[in-house]
Amino acid sequence: MPTSAPGDVVAAVLHGAAADPGTALLVVELSALGEPAVRWSNAGATELLGRAGSDLQGEPLHGYMSTPEGGSLFAMFRRERPTTTLMTLRTAVGESVACRVRATPAPGGRLWALRVDPAQSELELALRASADAHEQRFKVLAERSPVPTLMSEQGMRLGHVNDALCTLLGVTADKLIGIGWMAYVHPEDLERIAATVLDVLAGEERELEARFLDSAREVRHTDMRFTPLRTPGVGDGFVATLEDVTERRAFEDRLNHQATHDSLTGLPRRSRLWEHVNAAMATPDVGLACMFLDLDNFKVVNDSLGHTAGDALLVEIAHRLIRAVRPGDLVARFGGDEFVVACATSSVDGAIDVANRILRVLSEPVDLNGVEIRPRGSIGVVLRGPDHQSADDLIRDCDIAMYQAKSRGKGRIMVLDESARSAAHDTLILVSDLRQAIEERQITLDYQPIVAYDGQRPQLVSAEALARWRHPRRGSVPADTFVRLAEEHGMVRELSELVLETACRALTEWRVRLGPLAPARVNVNLSALQMSDNLLVQTVQQTLRRCGLHPEQLCVEITESALMMDPDTAATILRELREHGVQVAIDDFGTGYSSMAYLQRLPVSYLKVDRSFVAELEDGRTAVAQAVVSLAHNLGIGVVAEGVETTAQHAMLTEMGCRVMQGFAISAPLPEPSFVEWCRDSFPAAPGALR
Amino acid sequence: MVLDVDDVLDGLDQLSSQRPVAARIVATSNSDSAGAADLATVLGADMALAARVMKLANSAYFGLSGRVTSLQLAVTVVGFNTVRSVATVALAGIDDARHLPDDFWTISVHLAASGGALGPRFQATAADALSLGLLAQLGAALLHQADPDGYADLLASTGLGVERFRAEADRYGICSPQLTGEALARWHFPAAMVDALRAVHAGSEGALLRTAYEMTARLLHPQHRKVTLDRVSDGRMTEAQAPARLMAIRSDVLQLQAALGL
Repeated sequence: MPTSAPGDVVAAVLHGAAADPGTALLVVELSALGEPAVRWSNAGATELLGRAGSDLQGEPLHGYMSTPEGGSLFAMFRRERPTTTLMTLRTAVGESVACRVRATPAPGGRLWALRVDPAQSELELALRASADAHEQRFKVLAERSPVPTLMSEQGMRLGHVNDALCTLLGVTADKLIGIGWMAYVHPEDLERIAATVLDVLAGEERELEARFLDSAREVRHTDMRFTPLRTPGVGDGFVATLEDVTERRAFEDRLNHQATHDSLTGLPRRSRLWEHVNAAMATPDVGLACMFLDLDNFKVVNDSLGHTAGDALLVEIAHRLIRAVRPGDLVARFGGDEFVVACATSSVDGAIDVANRILRVLSEPVDLNGVEIRPRGSIGVVLRGPDHQSADDLIRDCDIAMYQAKSRGKGRIMVLDESARSAAHDTLILVSDLRQAIEERQITLDYQPIVAYDGQRPQLVSAEALARWRHPRRGSVPADTFVRLAEEHGMVRELSELVLETACRALTEWRVRLGPLAPARVNVNLSALQMSDNLLVQTVQQTLRRCGLHPEQLCVEITESALMMDPDTAATILRELREHGVQVAIDDFGTGYSSMAYLQRLPVSYLKVDRSFVAELEDGRTAVAQAVVSLAHNLGIGVVAEGVETTAQHAMLTEMGCRVMQGFAISAPLPEPSFVEWCRDSFPAAPGALR
Repeated sequence: MVLDVDDVLDGLDQLSSQRPVAARIVATSNSDSAGAADLATVLGADMALAARVMKLANSAYFGLSGRVTSLQLAVTVVGFNTVRSVATVALAGIDDARHLPDDFWTISVHLAASGGALGPRFQATAADALSLGLLAQLGAALLHQADPDGYADLLASTGLGVERFRAEADRYGICSPQLTGEALARWHFPAAMVDALRAVHAGSEGALLRTAYEMTARLLHPQHRKVTLDRVSDGRMTEAQAPARLMAIRSDVLQLQAALGL
């Protein structure tokens, strides 16, 4: 295999370098004075400089080459290492060409090989032009984009912002780049933005809602979207775009406000109150007092001056309440004429001060349609205590305190005490038990005979059904207690239907078991609240039909005071019942304030003389009982005396012309089996008496 | 006096061999393939440098005061170039104030702040421009060490900026930023950075640094004979823009000074 001598290889390399027109090479020697002169040049160099190789030979280098600032060429000639320097070449036609010159020292220490490359080759120029065009397009896109955009290169320091961001914030870019933009971030949102930026710098994409303050210090709500930006060899930054959602947010806020605030008074509704109280209670040991305000006699204003005046009064009250409380306190409209104030205080005295102030401003006169009224209210105050776990607990307790205030005479402030709270708690449990008792039909009936002493033999004309509740733990609960609870907690209809159904079924059964000894009818008490129940008549009819009874076999009793609560509606309902054939008795007659005119128009079958008038007969006070009996006779309706306990009373009533009676003198109310026995024992065979 | 640049740079190389971690940081940050995690790992080996970078990342200058808890994140926040510059300061031994010209760090921090503030206007990233400014004076430190008395005279008789570059070139054959460029070229800093230093005297690539010097001179020396910004910046800035920029730079200087502890 032929081999070439080393000299041949050197010659080949030299020949290649000398003839290569694509690479400009010069060999330069430093003179004794340090001046570089050309010793050799290749084809590429002669082409670049536009001069023949022979013309270059021996020429000082500075005739063709200079530093851009016109300084010495000396710096590029290092004996120990190559250097690369930017230079300007002057060609034969006088053109200046920017070049990158690499000077490599030869071993001898006097010669350097210079490789001269145009600073930017055509390819570099093309690439650069393309990159510039890309950058320009991106820049135009970013700068002219309507989307506010900011770009960071280091931490929170911005390198670029676009016109849209400047417009959004109303400032020039100069004020935003660097960390200037941070001054326009809402101070409460800066921390979240910084935390987000840290995540983004760690490579995450993030979105968040943040507020900015523009040059007029107006709040701009934005949705910010962050994208990490990695620049090779530099580090990481981010690009963030902002969407101005201020208008949308304002709209949402308006909707939210409407949803959480009362349209009449503008006060927060219950939901906001709950949020506020729960938020305050989330911090242990934060002092909090709640006050429940109920206007006294607001219904009178509504009824007498109309709802518009009532509304105007509520608006005025709302303004006064806001004026009376302290900054940070919340006034909410609870409903109707009820308001709740949540105060940040841990002292009872502090809370009472606020409550007093409220009562004071409340009682200033208000002119409604020319009528001057002085509003009054009852306030229940409760201070947050260890037993209060939630807003429910606290507001429930101030409600209880308000009821206490009402029951003690209105127009006053009541701070909830422990006994009231436990009583209220007890009531709540009792209500729950009552609901269960009604559902499980644990309410039973006693029956008290009503007897007529008209003819030779007394006649059992009816039995008054009296509801009884034997509580599994408490024992017997008085009827007036559980009936009142049923009325207050919306269980009247269920309770009444239970009593009606049970009584009617009992009568049906008695008729089978006792035959002629059974009472002719059964009396059932109605609650005052049922006097406005449009379904009452229908319910009565259906029950009678189900039990196979005639309407005249039922007598409903309604108290005089219940009747007078809404006489017109009551009259309508009673009239319908009477038309259907049901008997109607007015209970406790004489204790209310019936108008004679009403009484005359009411389709009443009986008046029942109240037991209090019967009880005082033996004391010589007979006038009222006598008057009631006479009134009934004069109106042509029946009369029944209640609470007849002695034979003397019995005799006196008989003397007055009252023939129908009930009371302990005849029989106490009896449970159903005893009542049946009583019927058998007391009224043996009185044929036809009981029809 | 003609300066033997090679001697000066050789001396620098010897210094750098005494700070191998700093040298490795410079090498790692020069590598395109290295990520923040790699750089943080290398940086972690030099507690003093790591602490300086952490302090810098947590400074008000980057807007994240006290929130940067990891070294990797710190590297990400300040940028590779800044880490490299901080390491280079250590590498060149110029964090020791004993052998430096008067006001050396004051001028350097002003140049860094000016670079950071002006960079985007010159199509340079803020991180690059900050690093450029921070290191530009390295050459001045070298000239001072090579010729203490002569250089002190030169400093006393010339104003910062173009006037001084000319005087340095006349006396030493090279001006101080160019000498910095040669040192950075030897440490394989990016060509753009080296070119910007070499072209500080004239040419568009040197416009940013030239402008930074002019801003620094205006901030530090009220008697400075102004060169119009339009001229030093190759038309990238006008005098009208100067007041706002000077104010921003002055504020950045305070934050950087505290952060760098220089």
